[in-house]
Amino acid sequence: MRYVAYAARRTLAALFTLCTLILITFVVYWSLPSTPAQFVYPQAQELTRYQLAHANDLLGLDKPKPEQYVDYLWQLAHGNVGRYWAGSILVNNTHLQQQPIGPTLFRSFRATLAIILGGALLVVLLAIPLGALAGTRIGSPADRVISIGTLVGVCTHPMVLGLILATTFGYGHLNLLPSGGYCPLLRGASDSCGGVHDWLLHLVLPWSTFALLFLALYTRMIRASVAETLPEDYVRTARSKGAGELRVVSRHVLPTASLRVLTMVGMEIGTAIGVCIYIEAAFGIPGLGSLAVRAMGGATSDIDLPYTLAIVTMITLVVIIGNLIVDLLYAVLDPRATLDSPRRVNKGMVGGVM
Amino acid sequence: MTVSAGVGGQPRGPWASTWLRMRRDRATVVAMVTLGVVLGLSLFGGAIATRILGHNGAQPFPYAVSGSDLRPTGPLTRVYDTDQTNLDDYGNLLPPPRGTKTTLFPLGADGVLGRDELIRLLDGGRTSLEVAIGAVIVSLLIAIPVGLVAGYYGGTTDAVVSRLTETIMAFPLLLFLVFATAKLNPSLGGIAYSWVVPRGVVTDALLIGAFTSFYPTRLIRAQIMTLRHAEFVDAEHMIGARDRRILGRHLLPHLVPALLVWSSFAVATNILLEVSLSFIGAGVQASTPTWGSLLSNAWGTFYSPRSHDPTVWQTLFPTVAILITVLALNQVSEGVRRAIEPWSQR
Repeated sequence: MRYVAYAARRTLAALFTLCTLILITFVVYWSLPSTPAQFVYPQAQELTRYQLAHANDLLGLDKPKPEQYVDYLWQLAHGNVGRYWAGSILVNNTHLQQQPIGPTLFRSFRATLAIILGGALLVVLLAIPLGALAGTRIGSPADRVISIGTLVGVCTHPMVLGLILATTFGYGHLNLLPSGGYCPLLRGASDSCGGVHDWLLHLVLPWSTFALLFLALYTRMIRASVAETLPEDYVRTARSKGAGELRVVSRHVLPTASLRVLTMVGMEIGTAIGVCIYIEAAFGIPGLGSLAVRAMGGATSDIDLPYTLAIVTMITLVVIIGNLIVDLLYAVLDPRATLDSPRRVNKGMVGGVM
Repeated sequence: MTVSAGVGGQPRGPWASTWLRMRRDRATVVAMVTLGVVLGLSLFGGAIATRILGHNGAQPFPYAVSGSDLRPTGPLTRVYDTDQTNLDDYGNLLPPPRGTKTTLFPLGADGVLGRDELIRLLDGGRTSLEVAIGAVIVSLLIAIPVGLVAGYYGGTTDAVVSRLTETIMAFPLLLFLVFATAKLNPSLGGIAYSWVVPRGVVTDALLIGAFTSFYPTRLIRAQIMTLRHAEFVDAEHMIGARDRRILGRHLLPHLVPALLVWSSFAVATNILLEVSLSFIGAGVQASTPTWGSLLSNAWGTFYSPRSHDPTVWQTLFPTVAILITVLALNQVSEGVRRAIEPWSQR
């Protein structure tokens, strides 16, 4: 029961954050100069006052600002993420024919999710043995090699790291793996490739880039946690009962570290999406990050408002839902945890990944 | 600990003993020396190399680029010291007239224009560090007042500040930068001060600084909140000190260690963010070298990555420069933290 109440409370708070971010996007859009009529009349050199007024009417921009905002939220609540302004076609001068954003958005979301989840798994698989090894032998040569070696990944720019991996292992030099592109796990009618094999092959290098970037942070954390836990009484008890070194570390020491890792994962979801922007750019993967960069930057000065809003909503939702899952998992794993007390792990500061 | 007794029985102050602990930490000393060398090379290296080699980082050398596929030459090559091209009827590059002198390119050329990579790397270090350090100053200028007020007074101000920072920190920083540079760059891009502050440095520093100021704001707020009810603050109130005095004279010094650690860490992050800005194609003007623009010249931008397959050298030198600097900064940050809080685990 307390989990349900907690989840409900957290969901409310999350919805508030989402509404705030959408509001911020609207306010920024309203305060920047732009001529949205350009989307309705892309060919027009000089827009007449009739055209401006007509376009604003068609795009719904002549309504009062609070109404625009509430309207958007209302549509969103019905699962409608909106339609692109770009590429609008004016039909009979009465209504607009627009492409829906949804399909592109969800397809790219799946690609990004695949990078993040697979990459995170790889990080955990690598960080646990490395961190345990370093943590049990603080100050030894092995510890130093691991600590410095993992730092190298963080101190290189993610985009450069990705590009180096792509050109080294990709077609052209070693010819081991595809150097870019993305194949969906479930092959659709319009996809040129797909299926588990293609999907895996195309994601090996993005996952490795992701892992190299985050490895330092997690290895350090596990190392610190292991080093802190080793002198504990219960570890000595386990030893005195005759448990071997491997069993002591894996069954008694590492579970403590897992809680910290979990908290950290929750804090780093936003960062992970940020890193995906670089990885997607380096490997040419059509994911959420590259979609976002195209929506927010790009050469044109006019902002495609629904497109930008859809991106903001999607990214915020990913971060919020990820955080929620992590928090609930934490509560399940650590029964001592009171649900509302803030848990702050000391984010062992590593300059690099942003 | 033996650190507490100084010369002549005088107890050492906290700063002196911190400094002593730092000096005893070998890795940190190495990192500090490295940083000193990087700083010195970035500030003076370009000018010295120009004097020795006889050319500067802005001069293009057509003969430093191979004629057929426009690939720059590798390290330690001598190229013809001329900016005149001698083309045959088909547009192929011919050797220059006899007697043309050659000049040394110690690290090869930077790209299709054939400029000296070494000098651009050294000059680029200066620009990159200007951006990185400038951004830290900007974000501290924002974070200190906001964090102090939010932490000290609490209430509505604090609620607004913390909600806002939480909301914005949930969102990837890079997207703000992409958005801001795409829409704001034209209005801020023109600020420059001769060669000392090239065009775009101020924009970069302001943008990075503004969007990274949320972390120190939270840091300061959290520290002030724990110190707000400390006995020495109550004592201040009792002798009638005003809030401004308490904040400025008595609470601010407590923040210095944490901010010192954060700053060196942030300089490292900002160096990499400057690279990101170059990859977005915003950043400093393309003709001004920075570590980021050296890399983005080689690899293209976000919108059009990999215009051509770059040579290994073009990636290697800036990457190594960034790697060394960022590693050293991380180590210094870690060393400062360890020296300030010797009781914390290593």
